[in-house]
Formats: sequence, structure tokens, C-alpha cells
Amino acid sequence: MRNRHAFSEMSPMAFLNPDFFKRNRTRQLFLIWFFLTPSLVIFTLYRIIPLFWNGVLSFQFWSPYQESQFAGFAHYEEMFFYDDVFWKVLWNTILLMASAPIGIALALLIAVLVNTPIRGRNVYRTIVFMSYPVMTVAVGIIWQWLYNEKVGLINYVLISLGILQKGIPFLGNFTLALPCVILASIWQVIGFYMIILLGGLQNIDPSLYEVAAVDGANAWNRFWKITLPLLKPLIFLCFVIGIINSFTAFDLIFVMTQGGPGHATDLLITRIYNVAFKLSKFDYAAAMTVVNFLFFLGLTLLANKLAGGEAGAVEMER
Amino acid sequence: MKNFRKIFLRVAVVLLATGLFIPPAAHAQKKISVLTWNIPYFTDGFNKWVAEFNKKYPDIQIERLDKKGTEWSTFYQTQVVAGTAPDIIDIQGGLWLEYASKGGLVDLTPYLKKDAEYTKQFYPEILRGWVYEGKQYGVPFYISKTLLFYNKNMFKEAGIKDPPKNFQEILDYARKMTKGEKSGFMTLNFDWLYWPIFAMNGVQLLTPDLKKAAFNTPEAVKLVDTLGKATQDGVINKISWTGRWVEPNDAFAAGTVGMFHAHAPAFLWFKSKAPWVTEETVGATHLPGGWSTPNSHSILISKSCKYPDAAWDFIKIATTGEGAYLLGVGTNNLTGNIPANRRLLEYFAKTLPVAVPVLKTQLEHLDKLCGNWPVAKDAEIKEAFYPELQNALLGRKSAKDALKEAENKVNRVLQKR
Repeated sequence: MRNRHAFSEMSPMAFLNPDFFKRNRTRQLFLIWFFLTPSLVIFTLYRIIPLFWNGVLSFQFWSPYQESQFAGFAHYEEMFFYDDVFWKVLWNTILLMASAPIGIALALLIAVLVNTPIRGRNVYRTIVFMSYPVMTVAVGIIWQWLYNEKVGLINYVLISLGILQKGIPFLGNFTLALPCVILASIWQVIGFYMIILLGGLQNIDPSLYEVAAVDGANAWNRFWKITLPLLKPLIFLCFVIGIINSFTAFDLIFVMTQGGPGHATDLLITRIYNVAFKLSKFDYAAAMTVVNFLFFLGLTLLANKLAGGEAGAVEMER
Repeated sequence: MKNFRKIFLRVAVVLLATGLFIPPAAHAQKKISVLTWNIPYFTDGFNKWVAEFNKKYPDIQIERLDKKGTEWSTFYQTQVVAGTAPDIIDIQGGLWLEYASKGGLVDLTPYLKKDAEYTKQFYPEILRGWVYEGKQYGVPFYISKTLLFYNKNMFKEAGIKDPPKNFQEILDYARKMTKGEKSGFMTLNFDWLYWPIFAMNGVQLLTPDLKKAAFNTPEAVKLVDTLGKATQDGVINKISWTGRWVEPNDAFAAGTVGMFHAHAPAFLWFKSKAPWVTEETVGATHLPGGWSTPNSHSILISKSCKYPDAAWDFIKIATTGEGAYLLGVGTNNLTGNIPANRRLLEYFAKTLPVAVPVLKTQLEHLDKLCGNWPVAKDAEIKEAFYPELQNALLGRKSAKDALKEAENKVNRVLQKR
């Protein structure tokens, strides 16, 4: 039975009782609060208060040099009705988010392959996973060089094979720049997805496949009817991680393209940075942050609902 | 549990006792911080400034900070918000306008008025570059403006004898030199450095009162259309509109661009990448008409500076006499100081003769500076204008539509709060 009222014993008046600390339960609760308090203080100072302050800032005309004035919904009006760059970067963020299934599908294919009893499969697993621990900045620099028009490996190979006559400026091309960044992003996380899915694959009871094979199911049917349904929770987890990555891919964009050419690879998060620190419009950037937060919150709530509504639940002791 | 309580109480007492016996913070020393823009190698000269400064102010410590261009404004603004803004700042281009318009900088007009001997050492046209609403906020630190570099080898191959004398000749010569991987013309595009191309064709960005966009004219549409077609044909290298600093300089250093419109610091940068660059292979001249965009660095004082008079004395050391000379030698630039520049040109003639023709262009045609409007919303206007221009030049939109859209956006920036 969950005890939902455990913390009500810590009412302020309870401390006045001289026998307060003699009670075992009280001492336990005191210990819990004692260890939680520093983290809660830091969390409040660096997360809750800035979140609240950011919300307040989004309704002000603010400058570090002058007194602030109430702006009402001016920044939101500007954002939704006059700022076409906002809609462009929001769309780019959604595209990056929507690319997560591609990475998951590739990771699943690789996981299925390295789960088979092939020779050297541990080596393949290691090679595929090696991209994940690499710092995102390093990933950005590596892929920036790979895509380079003059000296990049990709152009070199394509020209050598006769596919191209001259190099393509991948990261300088309005159409190709974002897909190129997405590819770099997928390359970085595919190893992580693979490990998660591989763990799931190895937890599937082999007897299910044996029974299905006896019943005449071919490889595709076994994958579609057994493997995929049982991996659904993990695939969902990978998708949520992919969504989180799309909202926080600041470093990759900053290193590879700085949001260019012409906002073609700009995300909401990089746009917020540029508006705040390049255009000195902290108030407008705060409004964009609020929208970013609400959008992300909406997605998280949706994901939680699709997962059954129990994400993050903690079982209390009886 | 009883033992735990004892241990807990003992630890708490020890922590409390330690807190009581921490000695009070020593009296904070007077300090002036100086933030420079990407010149971390300039140390000897800076230390000499500090030594000179400390003769008059032995009780004030100078703290040196340096940030790369891409990090500078982020760093400065976070420091301003935190209340710890660097006292003296070296800024490139028009960033200072934003801070000046919001009262974030010290008005140096009284200091300059008080010291006529100091003031008259500077080129008046250059000094005017840091006036906003009648007040002087900065003094020149080191100067640069755009010029035209040309690849003499490519000129010779194309049968061209002399640099272009007008815009049409730029296009014609560029077209002659364009072949395969080679393109005839390229420009830098950050901080309005490409604007001389517009100025020489009679295009204005804003009305004289700086309140409305003035660039959406038939002449501008024709110019943008011409530039766009030349870019599509490869006559103007596309990097002109998509690259920032490294890519255009690399392209010229690779020897595949006939003419490069850039500011003076580009010379030493691409020269360091290209051993073929000598006085015989690369020429330097003005863009036809003498038009150029300044990209000079100025030195200013943050409003939060506690010792503005001392900060001003430090600035004077850095921008006159031996101090200015050391700056020029240490950064391979000319300064805004006339006597210092005479010495510097003699110095460079002996030590870096290949740079002298380039540096001389920086002191000529100072009446033809453009692309430096004293508008507080300079960064926002650039944000509104350039992406639309880029769309037209790269063939994503017609010149007419792009300039119309840019006009709407620029006017909105100028009208809103």
C-alpha cells in the first residue's frame, strides 16, 4: 500500500515536541530531508528560479543597461506573426526529431545482424558503438571535414568514382545542409540505440522463435510478429531519446554550420542563443525559450501517455 | 542511530567552528579589466602599456582578457548582465552601437575636448566612426578597411593588364578569368564588407535620417540580378555569399580566384596559407571609386567601470606614441594615430615590405567609407537584410522579390521598439 501522507509528519509544530527525534520514523524522515535538501536547493536555484524568471522576462522589454518595462504579449506577437525565421527553425527542429526513426531502424538492423552467431560480432558491436562516446564537438569537426568541398573524403570518393565532376559544398548548400547534419547526428547515436536494442533482442526467449518456425513462420514474419512487438518499449525509449537530442543538438550545429547557410540548419535552440547573444535581445530569446519549453513539455506528456502514463512513477514502501 | 546522532552533531559543530574562523576577505585590490578581440599573442606590447600605466597608478591592477571574435559578444554580454563587465573593451565593427544606444558605454567626448593635443593625432574621418547621436564613444585602436586583392598570374593568363576601373570592368575581367574551378571574383560578406559593391552602384541602405529602408530601387534590383547571374555562372564565387572568413581566404590562397574583395587583415591570413603569395603574384588596390567598408577596432570604456579616468589614461597610452607603435608592430596593423603610422610604415617597409602596398590603401580614400551607419539596431538590420540578399544571389528568389521582402523586414526592425 502506498503511503501518500508520509511527509505530513514533518509539520513545523512537530519540531517543538521534545520527544520528536526519539521516534524512529521521524529520524528516518529527517535523514531523508537532510540528504535531499542540498540537491533541492541547487535544483531550485539553477532550474526552478531561472525557469520562472525566464517566463517573467518573456513579458518584458529588458536590457542590462535600462529599467525593464512590461511588454505584454509583444514578443509572442512578433514571434508568431512577423518572425518567419522562428517558423523555419521550428520546422528544422521537427525535421531533426522526425529523423530519429531512421537512426532507430538502422540501429535495429545492425542489432539484429550482430545478434546472429557470425564471426567477429563482438568486434562489429564495438566498432558501431565507438561513435557514441565521442564528444559531439569532435563529431561535428570530423563530419565538417568529411563534407568539405575541396578536401573532404566524401567528395574525393565521389569524384574518384566518376559520380561527380567537382566537389559539392554540402554544408553550404541550402537543400543538403540539414540532411548532412542529420546524418552526422544519426552516426553519433546509432551505437547507443544498437546497444539498447541488442539488450532487448537478447532478452527475447528463443523458444518463441522455435515455436514460430515450427508453425511455418518465415524470418520476416518472426521479425514482424515476435521481435518488433517485444522490442516496442525499447524502440519507444530510443525515440524519446532522439526527441531529446533534437532539442539539445546545439553543439553539433554550432560546430558544423552555425545554423547556416541562411538558417537552413538553424534549430530553435541555436536560434535562441543567437537572438540572445548576437542580437542582444534577451527578452525575445526568453519568449522563444518559453515556447520551446512548452513544445517539449507537450511532447513529453504525449510520450508519457503513449507509454501508459507510468513513466517516472516511484513505488513507495508499504 | 544514537551513534549517528552524535557523529552528526560533532560534524556540525566542526563545520560551524571552521566557518567562524575563516579570516575576513582581504581588502579587494583596485582593478581595471581589459578585454581584447582575438589578439592573445600581443603580450610584450601590452605588458609595456601596463608598466607605463602603473607608473601613474601603482595601486591599480590591470587584468587582461582576450576572446575570439565568435565568442566576444557572448562573453561581454554575459559579463554585463552579471554586473562584471570588462572595463576597457576592444571592439570590431559596429557592435558598439548597441551598447552605446542603451547607455552601456562612457561618453568620451569630454575627455577628447579636454585634450586637443591627443585628439588631433587621429584621422578625423576614422575618429568619426565612433560617434553616436553626437557623442564620441570610442577611439581608434587599429584600423582596417576593404580593398581589392588580385591574382596577377590569373590576370596575365586572361590577358588583363591593370586592375578594374569600374563595376563593369570588374564583371568583365571576372568573366574572362572564370574557367573550370577558377572564378573571377569573390568578396567577404560579414559586417557589411560587401557593401562597397552597392555603394559604387549608387545604392543606399537607409534614408539619410536612418529611419527607413532605401535600397529597394530599380538600380538595386538590377545590381542584385546581375550579381546573382554572375554567381550562378561561377563568375562570382558562391563562397562570397555563404562563407565567412576561413572559406573565402582559403579559396584565394588556393590560387583559384582572380579578385578578392576583403579587408587588410585577410592579406597576412591567406599569405600564411599560400607560399606563392608575393608582391609579384598578388596586387592590392582600391575598389573602383575608392569605396570601402571600415572594419576597424576601437577601444571604449564600459559604463560600469569604477575608475573611468584611470581607464582613459590607459587608453591614451595604448593609442598614442610608443604604445600605438607597439600595437601596430605586435598585430601587423596600422593604428588610427597619424604619427604612429608614419613610424609603422617605415618599420613594415624594412620588415614586411610585401604588406606595405596593402597597408597604404588603409589610409587612402577615407572620404569614401560606407557600410558603417550609426544605427543602434545594426545587427538586427543585418539579420533582416542579408538572408534575403543571399536568397537572390544564390538563385532562390528573384532580386525583385528578395529586395521587397528585405525592405519589409528592415522597416519592421526600424519601426518596432
